[in-house]
Amino acid sequence: MTEFNYKTCTGCSLICEDILFPDAGSGSVSQARNLCRKGQAHYQALFSERTGPLVEGSEVSLDQAIERAAEILRNASAPVIYGWSNCTLEAQEVGLALAAKIGAFVDDPSSYCEGQLMERILSGKIPSCTLDDVRNFADTSIFWGSDPSSTQPRHLSRFSYFPRGEKRQKSYEEERTCIVVDVRESPTARLCPNTTYRVLPGEDLQFLEAILAVLEGKIPKFGDKKKMIELGSIIKKTEYGVIFPGPAMLVSLQDQMDRFEELVRRLNEITTFKVVPMTGQYNSRGYSQLLFDRTGRVKGVKFTASGEAAEAPSLVEAVKGADAILVLGSDPLLDLPAGLARAFAAAPIVAIDPRRSLTADVARVVIPSAISGLETKGTALRTDGVQITFEPSMKTNQLADEQILTRIMEAI
Amino acid sequence: MAVDVKVVTYQDIFQYGAGKMGLHSEEYLKLSASIILDKGDMASLGVAEGGKVLLENELNRIVVNATASADKPHPGLAFMIKSPWSNQLEGDESCPAGASGFRGIRAVVSPSSEGITQMDEILQRLRA
Amino acid sequence: MVSAMEIYMLLPKTNCKKCGLPTCMAFAVGLLGREKKLEECTPLFEEKKYEAKLAKLKEIVAPLESASETGLVIHPEKCFGCGNCVIACPVNVAAEPTRVGAGLGPEGDRVILRVEDGVVVANNLQECKRFGPNKILCNACTATCPSKAIEFV
Repeated sequence: MTEFNYKTCTGCSLICEDILFPDAGSGSVSQARNLCRKGQAHYQALFSERTGPLVEGSEVSLDQAIERAAEILRNASAPVIYGWSNCTLEAQEVGLALAAKIGAFVDDPSSYCEGQLMERILSGKIPSCTLDDVRNFADTSIFWGSDPSSTQPRHLSRFSYFPRGEKRQKSYEEERTCIVVDVRESPTARLCPNTTYRVLPGEDLQFLEAILAVLEGKIPKFGDKKKMIELGSIIKKTEYGVIFPGPAMLVSLQDQMDRFEELVRRLNEITTFKVVPMTGQYNSRGYSQLLFDRTGRVKGVKFTASGEAAEAPSLVEAVKGADAILVLGSDPLLDLPAGLARAFAAAPIVAIDPRRSLTADVARVVIPSAISGLETKGTALRTDGVQITFEPSMKTNQLADEQILTRIMEAI
Repeated sequence: MAVDVKVVTYQDIFQYGAGKMGLHSEEYLKLSASIILDKGDMASLGVAEGGKVLLENELNRIVVNATASADKPHPGLAFMIKSPWSNQLEGDESCPAGASGFRGIRAVVSPSSEGITQMDEILQRLRA
Repeated sequence: MVSAMEIYMLLPKTNCKKCGLPTCMAFAVGLLGREKKLEECTPLFEEKKYEAKLAKLKEIVAPLESASETGLVIHPEKCFGCGNCVIACPVNVAAEPTRVGAGLGPEGDRVILRVEDGVVVANNLQECKRFGPNKILCNACTATCPSKAIEFV
């Protein structure tokens, strides 16, 4: 029996560990097996648009770039460290130590609105489980405002609908139901057209209240009454249900998360229902957990001179008042609304990035790094909190994020 | 010859791949500088499949390609893949307050004969 | 998948019988069933007035030509690499019950469907339940695809 040298993909928060590269020795990813289209693109990116050390657009040595970065951060009175979610736990730890040292404000892309759910899950207010539990026990998977086929492509085939599990040997054919709640016919919705619920923007709360109503045996005030009552029946027959909320639903319910908590509580009176987040980048959860363990918060935190967390401004306020922003594992100019992106661009940015990005294009200092997970070893938390440790698939001369951050700290 | 729309953004696996190949590539531009409009809305605007439209709100204006939706009718609702183009129309407060509970993008759509807004232009606006 | 009618609309519609069949509609059905080849309609290739239609026909008939005995056609440009078809395929599951059965990527070569370079590829089609004397109308792979990247002719 051949020994299979499985590698890990850090393309999304499922962190698949069954990737095979027949040709890895030659530094090629061709004929890679089990990588989805997203993972394939993530790996292909190893070979294009890699960054080199730059200061004010001019090529410099790595040492010079690190020195200049340390200078900018040392002299800053209102530094911000942003990104985090594409870094390993090890890099995040060093980064948080740096933040405490220079009294920085820290934040990540998920704090937008996903932070509200993550905080409730990490603190235990909303019950959660692992994706392995989902595969083994779940008979109802509800994708609310999320489209795993596009964002975590192997979600349904590895965990939530198609595979067999301990208590779900007959899987999707007889023992699992997939429900999609969305504003459009997403690719995931196409897989279960009979259990897709169309909810327009802003209507998520009404939909939520309608579910609570049918569970009480009342006529729902929203949606197709027959379909809503059917949904109530599916829920009542469920043995182990899981809700996977996506950013669309979390934005919509951001001021009504108490009602969502109430719904989950009510569902657990009838049967077992868990909530598993759909985090954006491969180690968003890792960062949220580290920050939560340290400060009790998952959203923006301001470290004071003594390294303690203090009352924090909003991300917008922090960025607009920043005189230095260290960006790692993220491309805010790509992802954020224009006004916020402009605020980022207006401040002196130090970008640690393996590849050219919009943020790296405007940064004062660019420090090239290895792509975490592919070129460096490390640890991360999958979207369900399970810790995954990985070895690199490819060799590189670039430094890992934590090595760069350590050197910056030493130079400050 | 203008329609008010709510724009809902979504993620697309092909646009993700194009972005990984290069944010300044033709493929990324093609998939991102694009909006899916309700068939009826497109007809009332007099815009042909693949035609150009101007999206404008109090924050910014962009010119993108319009495609007709293959979904059930959804007048007044449009879809864009989340990208620097859709971000041009999105408010800078992370979750702006609103009585309706809809946090999102509102824009006015009208036919356009201008060129498609390029990535360079967007980057310039962000640096300005 | 293209229909016989769509193919018919692009043919000369003269019922000239040069292909050996009585009508152009019969030829369209024959093309779809892969019993006839486009080249057998000689007027399409010989007469300049059919140039545009021929070009379009070549395009839509191409996937038919690459379809297997089982009628399986893969459109890699549409494939998400999600693995739904890999995990749903009963032959796959039987070949690797502790891996594919449990949602993991196959490690051996006895499977029919697996994801390579980000998209699905098919091998060992003679093992497919739609093939051979005891064939059944299994549609596990096509029914579980979010993007119609895998189809039957």
